[in-house]
Amino acid sequence: MKKPVLAVAGLTMCSGCQLTLLNCEAELPKIAGCFEFAWFPMGISDINACGPIDVALVEGAVSTPEDLEILTLLRSRSRLLVAYGTCARWGGIAAMKNHESREPLLEQVYGTTSKQMTSFPPAPLHRFVPVDFSITGCPPEKGELLKTLGAILHGTLPVFPVYPVCTECRNRESLCLLIERNELCLGPIIQAGCNARCPAVGIKCEGCRGPVEEANVGAEIDLLIEKGFSCEEIISRMQRFCPEWNLEQRN
Amino acid sequence: MSNVIEIKPMTRVEGYGSVRLYLSGKRVERVELALFDSPRLFEALVSGKPYAELPEIICRICSLCSTVHRVTALAAIEQAFGVKISEQTRLFRELALCGGHIQSHALHLFCLVLPDLLDVGGFPGLAQKAPELLLRGMRIKSAGNLIQETVGGRLIHPVTLIPGGMGKPVSRDGLRQLKEALTAVLDEAVASCDLFTIAPNSSGRQPIYMAVEGGRISPAGSGQIQLSGAPLLSTAEYRHWLREEVVSHSFAKSSTVNGKVVTVGALARLNSNAVLAPKAAQQYSANKEQLAGAGITANSLAQSVELVHAVEHAIGLIGILVGMELVREEPALINPHKSEGTAAIEAPRGTLIHSYSFDEQGHCIAADVVTPTAINQAAMEFDLFTLARSMEAADEADLRQELEKRVRAYDPCISCAVHLVRLQGSSA
Repeated sequence: MKKPVLAVAGLTMCSGCQLTLLNCEAELPKIAGCFEFAWFPMGISDINACGPIDVALVEGAVSTPEDLEILTLLRSRSRLLVAYGTCARWGGIAAMKNHESREPLLEQVYGTTSKQMTSFPPAPLHRFVPVDFSITGCPPEKGELLKTLGAILHGTLPVFPVYPVCTECRNRESLCLLIERNELCLGPIIQAGCNARCPAVGIKCEGCRGPVEEANVGAEIDLLIEKGFSCEEIISRMQRFCPEWNLEQRN
Repeated sequence: MSNVIEIKPMTRVEGYGSVRLYLSGKRVERVELALFDSPRLFEALVSGKPYAELPEIICRICSLCSTVHRVTALAAIEQAFGVKISEQTRLFRELALCGGHIQSHALHLFCLVLPDLLDVGGFPGLAQKAPELLLRGMRIKSAGNLIQETVGGRLIHPVTLIPGGMGKPVSRDGLRQLKEALTAVLDEAVASCDLFTIAPNSSGRQPIYMAVEGGRISPAGSGQIQLSGAPLLSTAEYRHWLREEVVSHSFAKSSTVNGKVVTVGALARLNSNAVLAPKAAQQYSANKEQLAGAGITANSLAQSVELVHAVEHAIGLIGILVGMELVREEPALINPHKSEGTAAIEAPRGTLIHSYSFDEQGHCIAADVVTPTAINQAAMEFDLFTLARSMEAADEADLRQELEKRVRAYDPCISCAVHLVRLQGSSA
């Protein structure tokens, strides 16, 4: 059987999703044997993105014309395009101030030279091109990446949980930081799949995996307001990884 | 007649960068190293945020260096508010830093540099040509990652390290597993130094090395910065001696120290009287001729010696921790007030400086992050220019390959460099 051709690319990012692939230490030799890499500049030099690509894993948000150029090129060559990680899926950390005007933010960092820069508010891939599948997380879970690669070898895609982090946290019987310690934990409205790793070490869910489908957003906000958090603080925390929430959504 | 040779993108480095060589006939006129990961404006993102959120946001500057960014942010915040952390927290942070050094050095040495030495394109080539070496590197790397996951709660962007303390401490059982994993790779790390050895006196010009005092890898921000052949510099006053310039061809800034081009990283630390653990010290002695006063191509060898040190040192820290009564401590109480704090810590790639100013409520009003790659940029460009000049008669393919290798020797981290630093109020 012909090996599936992979492309791994990064746009506006920290390289953490690509590093997650290189962090599959035990599996890396096997991955090298099962796939052909057409594009993965972070890890490989002898690459050639000229031919057809079976699956493109794209990390990062889109915030510059160059990002968009790489994205459209990969889209046009690839059978499947995977939004790889929270930035690609939701906008991510760089998008947290998308509700503010871009120019002052740029100027704050680059001073007057910012005028020559072309940079727009970071946005997820699906704003620009059709996306076939996504692996969320900042960083993504190794297990979800490996499940995806394994499924691709079998000509399919995996099914990921559609329940919140809260469910996994209850299953692990970790202390509830939201109810018991009155912390601003976002576990009830965030996509599971991390096995609630942060609450398990006593740290509240910061929402790095983005909204779970049918999240009961309204109820979470009510509860947090009841606990004394300000609306502004709650929304700022929710927007750390995903700038756009439906704040009215209830189930 | 002039033309341009462009290497874009550079491969087997973290992030998105390019080298441009401007030629007049065969003569190299100018070299530009452009680091152009798309800017993410971190200093603007954290502005207005409560101090407690800073470490969580700022560690996202870079995945490879997320632990050290987080620890440096904590050190700067704690310095600003006069917070003392417990011995238990300090030891765990130091252990996490060791994990970061192990994972970062192992990744660079075995996935990014080793392919050059064996003349393959990357890890898939290694898997075919030298599967045992790749597996060895991966075993060492995974021991570092196990530290990050066990102590930090997550491989990348650790979660347990918080202002004034930490989340749940690692269990005794967790520490035992860590010790086993590290002990299992110690000899392999020692044996790996031979892979990266170089001929004596082949490493080129001796740079001006910069590191925190004594080249220490410690979570307590160092108050002094050491520069070869110069008096110690005060970390708190870094804005006086470190000059950063925006350069038109790059999203990263170019830095000089008191007008001098400096080099940071593993080699700089080893040349700053770093105190090494026994087996690492043995390796240093055995390779002293190649390392003392060496140029940047000895940096991989220096990393391999530091890799041994980090594994040994981590085992030592675990030894201390298992002898302690490990309890879940409440973080130190923090009373935010108008203040500022600056911390310098040795990241795997060199000196990292974080500096924050806070208002009365402890909200961040200014942030500045100076990364090792930004500090190294001027030295990298200078080095590339010298190298290109010396290779003017060479074949273009060879030239391209050598230039890429030279950039790789610095182990640049472009995500880090391109967070782009500008302090509010000083953005003129």
